[in-house]
Amino acid sequence: MNRISSAVMGLVLASALILTGCASTANTADNMSSKEQLAEVKNEAELYEAALKEDTLIVYTVSTRITKVKEAFEKAYPGLSVEVRDLRSPDLVEAVWTNYDSGSGECDVVVCNDNSGSFYDRLVKTGAVVPYVPDDIRTNMEPDCVGDTISFLIEADLFFYNTEKYEACPISNIWELTDPKYEGKIYVPNPLRSFSTYALFGSILDQSQVVEEAYTKLYGRELNLGEYNSASELFLGELSKNVVFTNSSDEVYEALGTTEGKADFGIMVSSKLRMQDYGYSFEAITNLEPFCGCKSSYSVMLASRSKNVNAAKLFIWFLLGGSDGTGEGYKPFLTKGTWSARTDVINEDAMYVPDNQLLIPDPLELSAKSAQMDEFFERIIKK
Amino acid sequence: MNGWKSRLGWLVGLVIGICFLPGCAKESAPLSLRLGIPYSDNVQNLESNYYLNWIEEKSGVDIIPVEIRQTRCEEYLENLASSDTEIDIVLFGNSFVPSEEYLDQYHENGYIYTASNGDYVYRDYGDSVSSGCGQVLWINSDYLSALSLEIPQTTDEFEDMLRAFKERDPNGNGLKDEIPLLGSMDEYALNPLYYMMNAYIYCDPYHSLFSLENGEETFVPETPEFACGVEYCRKLYRDGLIDDRLFTYSTSQLTEMVNSPENIVGAFTSDSIGEVIYQGNPEIMAKYICVLPLKGPEGERNTLYVSREPSPGAVIINGTGKEAECEKLLDIMMSPEASLIARFGEPGVDWGYSDGLDVSIYGEKAKISTINYIWNSPQNKHLNGIGPKHVPEELFLGVTWNGINSDMEYIDARAKMSYQPYLPVDRSSRVYDEKIVKEYEQEWISLIKGEEGTDE
Repeated sequence: MNRISSAVMGLVLASALILTGCASTANTADNMSSKEQLAEVKNEAELYEAALKEDTLIVYTVSTRITKVKEAFEKAYPGLSVEVRDLRSPDLVEAVWTNYDSGSGECDVVVCNDNSGSFYDRLVKTGAVVPYVPDDIRTNMEPDCVGDTISFLIEADLFFYNTEKYEACPISNIWELTDPKYEGKIYVPNPLRSFSTYALFGSILDQSQVVEEAYTKLYGRELNLGEYNSASELFLGELSKNVVFTNSSDEVYEALGTTEGKADFGIMVSSKLRMQDYGYSFEAITNLEPFCGCKSSYSVMLASRSKNVNAAKLFIWFLLGGSDGTGEGYKPFLTKGTWSARTDVINEDAMYVPDNQLLIPDPLELSAKSAQMDEFFERIIKK
Repeated sequence: MNGWKSRLGWLVGLVIGICFLPGCAKESAPLSLRLGIPYSDNVQNLESNYYLNWIEEKSGVDIIPVEIRQTRCEEYLENLASSDTEIDIVLFGNSFVPSEEYLDQYHENGYIYTASNGDYVYRDYGDSVSSGCGQVLWINSDYLSALSLEIPQTTDEFEDMLRAFKERDPNGNGLKDEIPLLGSMDEYALNPLYYMMNAYIYCDPYHSLFSLENGEETFVPETPEFACGVEYCRKLYRDGLIDDRLFTYSTSQLTEMVNSPENIVGAFTSDSIGEVIYQGNPEIMAKYICVLPLKGPEGERNTLYVSREPSPGAVIINGTGKEAECEKLLDIMMSPEASLIARFGEPGVDWGYSDGLDVSIYGEKAKISTINYIWNSPQNKHLNGIGPKHVPEELFLGVTWNGINSDMEYIDARAKMSYQPYLPVDRSSRVYDEKIVKEYEQEWISLIKGEEGTDE
């Protein structure tokens, strides 16, 4: 998938805004007042003052690092408290949607991987969450990070190898991972339970041409598709025969990175590289034929039925690092394996991955093909 | 005459009526059984409890829950025997559990009914997989990050880490208030001395400190490896890296300390992280990460093995005249269907059968998906561990993650899976003798503290 052109992006944004508007017309009076509050411009001090009159802020997140933001936020703004609900992405989408649908208003801020069609379909398109980026930060955000979603952090879903077992990466082509000698040695989060794996597998399905070329390059012969419809399907089907599907990326680094590591390879989000600091021995593969992974980004969104809009806006401002990006809220995310979404903040620990090595997932396309992809993923997982 | 006949007719009618009335009443009002249920903070209302209502409906019996506020189980049973309190079944659980010896005696004295299968105790087969890793070390990852330390793998690295925790102010408050390593003697799993000793020799209190090496039973405290382990612990204690409170703290004091917002505990051990960290405290839960068994100077590296034996879950009180009905009710409670409710809550709401697309938290094929994790938190779906139950082992092994990152069951399962390679291949057949273990524990502590006469 290629980068979405700005024209398409504009169209998407316009549609999303219209859809958001449509959804909002059916909303409650509470929601209307939230919308007015959303539009209201306040500086940090004014938001803090208004937030003190509100209730506990509830943040739904897929990132445990939010607990560090919470601690720093509560320290910076005495009197404000944050409740963190830390869920896996599909469960988060379900919980936030249920919350929105029931009108309970028990959700103020949402932090989720935004590459999956599901996040877009269920929460963005319906207006359950809305983008909010403070004016003093907007101009310092990467242009493609601000739209109908606010991506505050860039990561990648990558292939990794076990550095206890291998001094250097033993493969140079993705097809090598389908070798039967790696059976049970590749750990991958279940694509039906992990948005980042879903986006990677979905993006691979859209790259049949290059996947086929990589096969020919490695084996010097034509590909026989057999029961599969495309080279990508064949690759994922063969790969899954060697894969142990896990519940999360945490299980992947645990299987990969210890002396008794069960795995030779794994797929997980690049931010798990921070676990190297604790002594886990694995390394990202950043040069692979024809790609080494896909881009992955995380959005911070305001729940449209938030009852604590001022606290939510202040929290988002704080999480984005404040006006100059140096605030405590952004620091927990600037670790190994992540890239800043702000133009004025450089992550010194960011790794280098050549641009042509990363696929760019298109949530709209993933969303459009979700039924077909889900059916295919179910098939390869059950095999 | 007519008057006499008429009066006789009335009398016959009245007698027949009286005879029939109790019969009618019996048909309309179900039999009542009074269940003595120990109080739990995690059960909101016995009258409307989903599990109790479910077994009531299933059995057709009217269950009258009687909350037991007394905390000493044996004292309660004693009083029950000597009073005219009407209780048909007593449920046990949490800390309200009598000893096996006491129950045997109570049965011999005729207070407990013997069921048709010959048993007189209905058992609780546990809340999770029945055997495996029994102790995990948890380290404060905030401390590691603050001091740029890696996870220790050896006893030397562990000592260096504890020293850094003590001396380098990892919680950043400018005070030397950090407790590098804390625990409690309440349970073996909470006692980090066992964790450290297992880097020298396999040290297992559940088998009375015996281990099986090459087919031979060895009493571990009499081995040179044990002496080396004691020396290591002694050094840590002398340098203030093992806190004195380890020897005096109760589980609740340990829990309070670890959950304190002051962030003062560096490391602790437990069987389940949920024993020490409150389920509703994801921030604290996120701080502590599992650390594999340490490697000792001779390369020894062991995981403490535990086999969780079924504990008493309920007894039927003798002499109530309703024993047979009680037996039927308890048979229902022991069924897999009831046991799943007793453990996971309402089917379809709190849990469901897996669609086969998930992997269980133990890496097996998923069978049960938890939707709402309600264990060890205030709820009204089950009795949170009180009463008898028997969830088949394959269902426990097939539980999937509910997607909540701070879910203690998921965290525990991952930790235990990573400890699995270090479980002993052979285990002693010695039965557990608390007296022996406690006696040697005391000597061990005296040695560590360097108390008088322990130099040798």
